[in-house]
Amino acid sequence: MNEDCLKLTAYFGERQRTEDAFLADALLDLYGDREIATSILLRGVGGFGLRHHLRTDQSLSLSEDPPVAAIAVDTREKIDGLLGDVLKIKRRGLLTLERVRMLREEIGPVTLPEELHEATQLSIYVGRQEHVFRVPAYIAVCDLLHRRGIAGATVFLGVDGTAHGQRERARFFDRNTDVPMMIIAVGSGERIAQVLPELGGLLRRPLITVERVRVCKRDGELFERPHALPGVDEHGLGIWQKIMVYSSESARHDGQPIHRALIRRLRESNVARGATVLRGIWGFHGNHEPHGDKLFQLSRHVPVTTVIIDTPDHIARSFDIIDEVTHETGLVTSEMVPASLSLNDDKHRGGLRLAYHHFQ
Amino acid sequence: MNVLTWAGVAVIGGAGSLLRFLVDRTVGGRVGGTFPFGTLTVNITGATVLGLVTGLALNHDAALLAGTAAVGSYTTFSTWMLETHRHGEERQLAIAAANIVVSVVLGVAAAMLGQTIGARL
Repeated sequence: MNEDCLKLTAYFGERQRTEDAFLADALLDLYGDREIATSILLRGVGGFGLRHHLRTDQSLSLSEDPPVAAIAVDTREKIDGLLGDVLKIKRRGLLTLERVRMLREEIGPVTLPEELHEATQLSIYVGRQEHVFRVPAYIAVCDLLHRRGIAGATVFLGVDGTAHGQRERARFFDRNTDVPMMIIAVGSGERIAQVLPELGGLLRRPLITVERVRVCKRDGELFERPHALPGVDEHGLGIWQKIMVYSSESARHDGQPIHRALIRRLRESNVARGATVLRGIWGFHGNHEPHGDKLFQLSRHVPVTTVIIDTPDHIARSFDIIDEVTHETGLVTSEMVPASLSLNDDKHRGGLRLAYHHFQ
Repeated sequence: MNVLTWAGVAVIGGAGSLLRFLVDRTVGGRVGGTFPFGTLTVNITGATVLGLVTGLALNHDAALLAGTAAVGSYTTFSTWMLETHRHGEERQLAIAAANIVVSVVLGVAAAMLGQTIGARL
């Protein structure tokens, strides 16, 4: 396990262009050139950003410019070396840096550090057509996680990315064998530590990251609010927070799917500076068997995840809205984001130097 | 039908679909609710204009350019259907049903209104 890795995430509108290419292509080209261990481009289905423009796939004209999230994970040196070039690309959007632990190739018995025991978020990267004993890898992984009592997992389909340093981009006429998919699972540190070696045995070339999170709510039950963090660390570097809300496309609040209600309420509140909804293709939550969409059906059954990143005081205010919308169902986690930079034309806010703040 | 009319249909048709995209996006982005107001606005205004054009009893070429090319490309049946289906997928059946009923009722009324105005001009 490599303790010292970084996850760089960029959130922006898919239609954004640099001088001669789409921003998403420019970023992923860069990740490919630098042979980043794993990166993935996820297309969202709804959200809004700093300028409060609504993005949604409910209307055809608005779905033409969906939100996207580009995630890149590698060692600290690799990501540090990348930042200069990433910042050279002019654009609008949000960039965040988070500390993660990465496991690659051989995975022996794992002991997670004490602090990870609270709750752990696992991200597993597999190829679209990767199979385990003739079963698609993402289904095999979800089954294993479900059997081992992990609280929930969601599978996201990437459209572009790198896997083990190799660029893998989805094409229309192609089997897209190694185009990355990302499986996010949340569970207690103990159970995650038990399941990690099993995942290592299941996958051909495992690539897994581990992060510490706090489980705030599950199925309407409030455990703890997000950590009350200060706005800056002892060196004056900004501290940010991320909330992830895992819900099902079929779960509703006020007659709307939870993620739509969340986006509407957060956008109207004028507190939240942005949110992005990512739709999964497969997953499970609690006692439900892993499930996805079927060929002929009227309504969808896939899991969705809403990501909200903001300053700690804004997160505390947004959490009241989130708490209300998820009063019956959904899993809500929070974590610290040690560096975040929002770019809006020439107005920059935040920075990419990592803040340090130790909390229990 | 001469070449000029054909070219006119192509150009005006293209402009109509661009206008639809702009109107739909602007209304959809402003209103921001769940109901597809953008497509509704496009279809209702289109129905009014088409009613008006037929009411005016223009000559054949002018009717072709204004009706088939301009309004035909501006309004959209497929988007109306797709957005209805997307709401059904998310189990927002009331909105899906309202989208159909409201569009039909307002659309027929708009076409009638347009035609009545056109006939009096």
